[in-house]
Amino acid sequence: MIEEWTRDLLRITDVAIFVYFVLLNSSYLVLIVLAGQEFFRHLRRTTFAGADDMFRSPLTLPVSVIVPAYNEGPGIIAAVQAMTALRYPRYEIVVVDDGSTDETFALLQQQFDLVEVPKVVPAEVPTRGRVLSVHVARANPETLVVVRKENGGKADALNVGLNVARHPLVCMVDADSVLDPDALLSVAKPFGDDPLRVAACGGVIRIANGCTVVGGRVVDVRMPRSWLLRVQVVEYLRAFLMGRTGWSRLGGLVVISGAFGVFRRDLLVRIGGLDHDTIGEDAELVVRLHHYLRERGEDYRVVFVAEPVSWSEAPSTMRVLGRQRRRWHRGIAEILSKHRRMILNPRYGRIGMVALPYYVLFELLAPFVELGALVLLPLGLWIDAINVDFAIRFALVAYGYGLLVSLTALFIEEVSFHRYPRAADLARGLVAAVIENFGYRQILAAYQVYGAWGAWRGKQAVWGAMQREGFSSPPPAVVGPPPASEPVPAADVTPSRD
Amino acid sequence: MLRIFTIAIAVLAVVIAVLSVAIVSARVVRTARARRQSALAAAPRKQLLAFVADNGEEGADDLVAIGEDAWRAAEPAAVALLGKVRGEAHRALVDVFTRRGVGLRARRALRDRSPVRRARAAQTLGDLELREAVGDLCDLLADRHAEVRIVAVRALGRIGEPGAAWRLLASLDRSDPTPALLVTDALVQLGPDVEVTLSAALDHPQARVRAVCLDALGLLGATGTAGRVARVLRDDPELDVRIAAAATLGKLGTPAGIAPLAEALRPGRPAALRAAAAKALGELGAKSAVADLEAQLGDPAYRVAHEAAHALRRLGPAGRAALERRVAAADPAEGGHAREALAMLAIGTADPAPVLAGVGP
Repeated sequence: MIEEWTRDLLRITDVAIFVYFVLLNSSYLVLIVLAGQEFFRHLRRTTFAGADDMFRSPLTLPVSVIVPAYNEGPGIIAAVQAMTALRYPRYEIVVVDDGSTDETFALLQQQFDLVEVPKVVPAEVPTRGRVLSVHVARANPETLVVVRKENGGKADALNVGLNVARHPLVCMVDADSVLDPDALLSVAKPFGDDPLRVAACGGVIRIANGCTVVGGRVVDVRMPRSWLLRVQVVEYLRAFLMGRTGWSRLGGLVVISGAFGVFRRDLLVRIGGLDHDTIGEDAELVVRLHHYLRERGEDYRVVFVAEPVSWSEAPSTMRVLGRQRRRWHRGIAEILSKHRRMILNPRYGRIGMVALPYYVLFELLAPFVELGALVLLPLGLWIDAINVDFAIRFALVAYGYGLLVSLTALFIEEVSFHRYPRAADLARGLVAAVIENFGYRQILAAYQVYGAWGAWRGKQAVWGAMQREGFSSPPPAVVGPPPASEPVPAADVTPSRD
Repeated sequence: MLRIFTIAIAVLAVVIAVLSVAIVSARVVRTARARRQSALAAAPRKQLLAFVADNGEEGADDLVAIGEDAWRAAEPAAVALLGKVRGEAHRALVDVFTRRGVGLRARRALRDRSPVRRARAAQTLGDLELREAVGDLCDLLADRHAEVRIVAVRALGRIGEPGAAWRLLASLDRSDPTPALLVTDALVQLGPDVEVTLSAALDHPQARVRAVCLDALGLLGATGTAGRVARVLRDDPELDVRIAAAATLGKLGTPAGIAPLAEALRPGRPAALRAAAAKALGELGAKSAVADLEAQLGDPAYRVAHEAAHALRRLGPAGRAALERRVAAADPAEGGHAREALAMLAIGTADPAPVLAGVGP
């Protein structure tokens, strides 16, 4: 016998879940509209952005590009070659081989004729894995440095890279990333235009699977072949490109992807580099930067540029994708827990009062609510707390609103950057926006809940590795059919947010 | 509640349908527009290329006679050409732009209410290198929008009129200053005629102005100001300015810089200044400073020891001998910087490569 109060409670809970979905999607919509404004603003300014002047100027701030690499054999040569072809006046590439067990270092040594140098590496930020040797390219010793170290994880590799870096700006790039030729100019530009205030600048990550990569450059942008990847393309557009641009416009950007972001080196040294013990070390770094600068009352900006972009390989199986999302969500949970003092604390301005509470409410809790709805709605039907009509309309509104948000993102992409030139790809994007709601979101929500649960229990974090196909040099190659075998569990350099 | 749901579903269905149509329409319209623009621009683009290939000797009238729609479609290509060609071809192309009234329109647009239009106009005037517009562009250095000021700085640099130097420096002395590196870059483009202005501004009360002047003097190679720069290195109250003075003395490369740099290198001074002085002595090729640099090789401050070692590797056999002495004398834990510098010397890199292979304008 089910008491009436139980039915009432379920009814109220179902309505509360509905209100939550409406608020969640409304917040996405607001961010996407803000992003649309920002893109429009950006595009109106391209004629006087001054990229060529910046490229020609001897005074453009030099950048150290730090590339952490763990078992990146399949793609490391193409990645480094692509980075050497970036359009930027002065930069060095610091590849940190984090104890790879494959041929990553041997390939680099052979390709770039590396010579070992007894470099003194300062200990400006703490590191764990011992540096085994430092090598430079014989032909370009000042511009390509390869550091071999004991395995210590991505954060440790980046910290070693920070210590080795010689330039005032550091750019963190994943070894599987392919940057647009002007990408470095674009992300470094805010530092030149507003040198007294810009502390960090994030760049956009798009999905490379399906695109044709020649000589380390994406020359033909296409939708991937698998629907799992197509759905991720739409998701990246909505959540990362538009979401982060929206947050940047609000002055509340708290995530810069470790796969592509530029920071002032002196600030990273001051805050002690990346945290070894947080799985979302890139996002944690930005939150800690906010924490540090806000506490000192410094006038600063953390910004995001929407174009050009870095292209990254996305997981092509649900299993690997699930692990990635579990890790990301665990990262969010750990960061919010570590910096909980900032939440709703006026001392931290928009970060404390808007961005972090939003992350608690709409990022951390969203998968819990999604799964809760999946359980409580049928339960409500079963005990007659709600009727079938209510359940169907509830689902239609909740998922319909989600679809509207994704379509808005696709529309803004179409009128702004329109990176997918084929009409068929446009149609695929529209279909992917629909099918995302059937199974994809729900399965990922389960992985996310598992990730947050792991953080709450304080379980030892284990990184999953993503088997990489690598990017081919000529002849043109298409990136990525799904990997055939199960990846080896180890510290990898899969972007922790992108 | 059900009624609210029903209304919401209807609204969502309509909006989703409208958005889907809008996405497809945007694609269709954009593609059609791009085709039309491309067709319109094709002939003028050919004329433009032929014109600059011919150093602008023939075809100017034809370019001026191009219809407004076709010119607008081809204008981005024409502006890009302005940045790529020099000499007669550049002057002839500027003349075409002027005859089409582009310069006049741009000068008028400098007073537009929209900051984007003002910035675009400033960019155009810079591209045209229109000296008559220098006064207007200088006024734009006080614009309330930072992005407009930045474009004005770059435009003034491209035009290269030395008279703009003071106004550029003044733009640094405000609560929301123009970016120092951009101003330095523009000042350098104004050429050696601004050296007197820059030297005089070394007494400016604003440290940012003094630092920019020093950087610009260094890049201009204003060797005549070395004594003045040395005094700044010795006496300026701001550390950042003294560091800039040390770097400038290194770039100027005159013997007058050696003694003040060696003085700045001594223990007791801030580590950042000592590191800058060490680096400058290396750049300057100051063989007489070998002993001073050698003394810093075991310095506990990483940057000081590092810069001293790498300065020595630029100083020829004497520097190399000093590094070798250090390696021979020190225990393995202490001779690290010298060993590193010697290793770099062994692979033949006395000077850092300015750009990566494969990178070019």
